[in-house]
Amino acid sequence: MNQHLIEQYVAGKMSEAEADAFEVSCVANPELARQVELEQRLKAGLTLVASGSTAEFVRSESQTPWKLAIAASVLLCVGAGVWFWKHLPGAHSQILAAVATEEQRQGTSMRLALVRGADSMPHLPAGAVRVEIVGLFDPGFHYTIALDRIGPAQNIATVATLYGQHPTSPVTLEVMVDGEQLDAGSYFLRVLKQASDEEALDFPFARD
Amino acid sequence: MQGVGVEQGMDFVPGGELTRRIREGDVSAESELIRQFEPGLRVLLRRRTGGDHGLLQDLVQETLLIVIQRLRGRGIEDPEKLAAFAAQTARNLSIASLRKTERQKTDVDSAVTERNADSSRGVEALAEDFEAAMAVRALLRELPQSRDRLMLKRFYLEDHDKEVICQEMQLSEAAFNQALSRARRRFRQILDERGFTKRDLLNLGP
Repeated sequence: MNQHLIEQYVAGKMSEAEADAFEVSCVANPELARQVELEQRLKAGLTLVASGSTAEFVRSESQTPWKLAIAASVLLCVGAGVWFWKHLPGAHSQILAAVATEEQRQGTSMRLALVRGADSMPHLPAGAVRVEIVGLFDPGFHYTIALDRIGPAQNIATVATLYGQHPTSPVTLEVMVDGEQLDAGSYFLRVLKQASDEEALDFPFARD
Repeated sequence: MQGVGVEQGMDFVPGGELTRRIREGDVSAESELIRQFEPGLRVLLRRRTGGDHGLLQDLVQETLLIVIQRLRGRGIEDPEKLAAFAAQTARNLSIASLRKTERQKTDVDSAVTERNADSSRGVEALAEDFEAAMAVRALLRELPQSRDRLMLKRFYLEDHDKEVICQEMQLSEAAFNQALSRARRRFRQILDERGFTKRDLLNLGP
């Protein structure tokens, strides 16, 4: 009986008088209130997750082929990365790096967030910039951050990749980007949760 | 109380008794009132603060302060209706807060506001919802059947009625309720495991 009322209240399907009376019951009865709050948080969480993508709700039950494909891609990327690391001059320079010093924390920064309907792209300031990526991160996981460039023919080339990054908070992931080493153009930081089949999040920006 | 028939648990002290003890200067009764009323006030104000948890917490504290001061002083007309008095106080405060925000929106110099705005505030204010979203993600990953995920989507996001969902997904209402109950239970466990369970105000909860 209570569960039905809780669902009606949280869904906003009660009349004003019913909702008022139900709220009085909640104030008088903390256990009922805790059940309602759990329902409110579940709904809020689902709404927030769905505001990014609804892919998680319609994910196929059979994921083995995808997992194999992802594992193969990761191995291929790691192999390619090692080859470039050994053979290309200047490939060791840190276009993309973890935030390591207090000086970097206090220095120039830029914030990137997924904003619906944003009509302008953030511009990367000159020099080494601490980029604060705002989103929904799980502190219990590592993240891979790739810096991708969008070419003239809308082709995408990965400029640098950083593995094993920990979010600084549940809503922030930080990384250093050296703008001096980037040509003018459009870029995006692709954030991928490691050991997970969640979709990568792309945070676009421009370099003048 | 009219309109809804809530089954009451035993985890509360009647308003009349709390009122009497607070009037007599019993400090433990004030703590009891906070422990008892805070969860319900959070529920009520959560609906009225648009996801701003900082504002929610401020209004909960303000409500409790007003109620306790009133009981220490002249008391209320019908002590048995203490919960109704607290609920109405919270509603009044949320309306006043909304009016204040609207006034500020009208009077404000937008250029100055833009300069002074702390861009992180919105994110901080939503932190609790982010925690819930993380738990939801974990829950969605764990749900073995895509049917259960779709069910949650239809019920909570698209606000479809149970009957309609059951009909479309060819489920009995019992099976639907069972799956929903399982999802809720697991959601609560994940919140607990990750330390995201909201503690009662002033840590007075059991």
